[in-house]
Amino acid sequence: MKVFIDPPNSLILFDLVERFGHEPLSTMAAIQEKIDKIEIDMPPMNVSLEDVMKGLKYAGIEVPSGVRGRLAVWGPMIEEAEAAIIMEDCPYSFGCVGCHRTSLMVRYLIKRRGIPILDVDYPNDEDEGRDLVVRIKEFLEALK
Amino acid sequence: MIKIAQLSCGTEYSSVQYEVEKAARSVGATVVHPDVSAADINEAVERFGFKPQSPQLKLMIARAVQLADRKYDADAVFIATCFRCAEGALVRNELRRFIQDNTRLPVVTYSFTERLKASQLLTRMEALVTVVTRKELLARERQTGITAGIDSGSSTTKAVVMIDNRIAGKDWTPSGDVIASAETVMENALKEAGVKLKDVEAIGTTGYGRFRLGQHYNAKLVQEELTVNSKGAVWLADRQRGEATILDIGGMDNKAITVRDGVPDNFTMGGICAGASGRFLEMVSKRLKIEVTELGSLADKGNWRNAKMNSYCSVFGIQDLVTTLGDGKTFEDVAAAACHSVAEQVYEQQLQEIDVRHPIIQVGGTSLISGLVTAVGEVLGSKPIVPANSQYIGAVGGAILSSGFLEGV
Amino acid sequence: MRETRLIMISPASGVTPDQVTRTIHTYGKRVVVKESCYGAVLEGEREIVREVIAEVRKLDPNGIFTKVRAFHAGDPRRCRAHHGTRPGFAQLEQEWNDLWKIHFGLDRAEKGERANDRKVRKKLSVMEFKKICEVK
Repeated sequence: MKVFIDPPNSLILFDLVERFGHEPLSTMAAIQEKIDKIEIDMPPMNVSLEDVMKGLKYAGIEVPSGVRGRLAVWGPMIEEAEAAIIMEDCPYSFGCVGCHRTSLMVRYLIKRRGIPILDVDYPNDEDEGRDLVVRIKEFLEALK
Repeated sequence: MIKIAQLSCGTEYSSVQYEVEKAARSVGATVVHPDVSAADINEAVERFGFKPQSPQLKLMIARAVQLADRKYDADAVFIATCFRCAEGALVRNELRRFIQDNTRLPVVTYSFTERLKASQLLTRMEALVTVVTRKELLARERQTGITAGIDSGSSTTKAVVMIDNRIAGKDWTPSGDVIASAETVMENALKEAGVKLKDVEAIGTTGYGRFRLGQHYNAKLVQEELTVNSKGAVWLADRQRGEATILDIGGMDNKAITVRDGVPDNFTMGGICAGASGRFLEMVSKRLKIEVTELGSLADKGNWRNAKMNSYCSVFGIQDLVTTLGDGKTFEDVAAAACHSVAEQVYEQQLQEIDVRHPIIQVGGTSLISGLVTAVGEVLGSKPIVPANSQYIGAVGGAILSSGFLEGV
Repeated sequence: MRETRLIMISPASGVTPDQVTRTIHTYGKRVVVKESCYGAVLEGEREIVREVIAEVRKLDPNGIFTKVRAFHAGDPRRCRAHHGTRPGFAQLEQEWNDLWKIHFGLDRAEKGERANDRKVRKKLSVMEFKKICEVK
């Protein structure tokens, strides 16, 4: 199954989803598709003006361009997702998930889909590490 | 290679990062991103004291701290966030202040939309580079020999001939063909100065048409208007030392520049909309069927409180004007309201991006509109200085700075 | 289709980046592998990359982690030498720091340990807080 992960660039979530036999939908894959298009020359990410305009599907013109551009990258993945795992309280999330407002919208878009969703917490210690792993494992196994 | 440190959020996802880098490259600079680790970020945000929700803004803070602590070497700073993002705007402005308090690096801030093109950033980037590479030239306080400056602006073209630190000849004309307009004013300025073009030892060009004129006159100095105008302003106002803010409400965009000993260290240039520029006052004059030169004295006789006008957008502003006139308000009150509205817009859109330092030197053609100067004074709480020949700042700056290229000087 | 992978080794693992890189070299597959501070960057055709990952994981199944990377290894658009650290670097660094928690979590899940109920942080009721305040 295609599982959307949030934060969409998380190493931990990507690895666990794949490890337990599903396909993670990540920012990295979406960006790779963009940057490998050599006909677009808009480095570094090849997010073009057209993409930012596509973001209007998710948010109006009064919303900053950075939010719309980001949503244009993730929106299609969220639409494609069959399940999702959302990790709360991450001590990080820079780079592509740098905009808090976009993150709020991404989570809302996931919830609106009505697909199975697992909410987990970023682990603070070994016990919570186990809790995270066990919960994700059970959730993903139930999807099969 | 000049290194411009970029502190930003959203550029890569707004399709503008490439434009930022292109603008920097075209003025011989390169964009760099100060290196930070995860631990640096947490520490920097704690120290800075403003804890934004958006992680990318935290990263911006950490990068700024690297610059402030001299852990990362850069020559200038470019701070940019998305237009209409409140969190980004707060961080952008506070980081600009932080960089200025902790370094001597020139800073420029910008809020962009997805439509940003490199050409819009060119003047700003060029000014950053000029401040870094021509520090000594910009510190020049006297004009020497016989030199001329030409300022090819969007509304008017101005020329000045200077001889031994005094203005010997000057002229201006509404801008038409870049070369033809410049030739006319140069000829008249030379005539007034009593010298021939061949006697002129160096020429400096600035403004939108600077590159073409630079080639045409084989100018020794071809430089953007931010740094050139600053020099002209402090020379004309005799404020070469200490701090000041230069305010130039131009025909197409407005500039606010803070200077320390005549060298700019922060500047803003209106980018998103031309609603609050001199162009709006021209439109108002046209509707009132008066010359723009008469608008100021008319405004002085009126009271802006009697007429409602908002020039945030020039189209809506003119609509306001039409409604106000329809309501039977006097031309005097309407003229005062137009001036007040422009001053308010400059305050809201430009002056929030810099820390205003007194005195304020108001320059450019619009500084001759007395009602506008009064309005700026009212909005800012202290009346700006308007030096004599204030419309010639660019041309004077060009003449002074180009004399720096003369042999043996 | 090309795939670029980051291989990240848990700080609690005995496996070293050098070991991972050398092991991959011994497979003789058509991939490019570069050692990094946290593990390695691997690039090649998707199927081959995935075979290599499955194989190299055997060195420490619960201690070796991986995710795809959008940019080619050494892509100038994202090269640190040109631009300084890329925005996502700090996050990766932070996640690497915490990988031991997942590493041990996987070990313990394998032993059949169950998860505790999710903690929900609640605010203290005013009455309870009042009682605490009144204790001398």
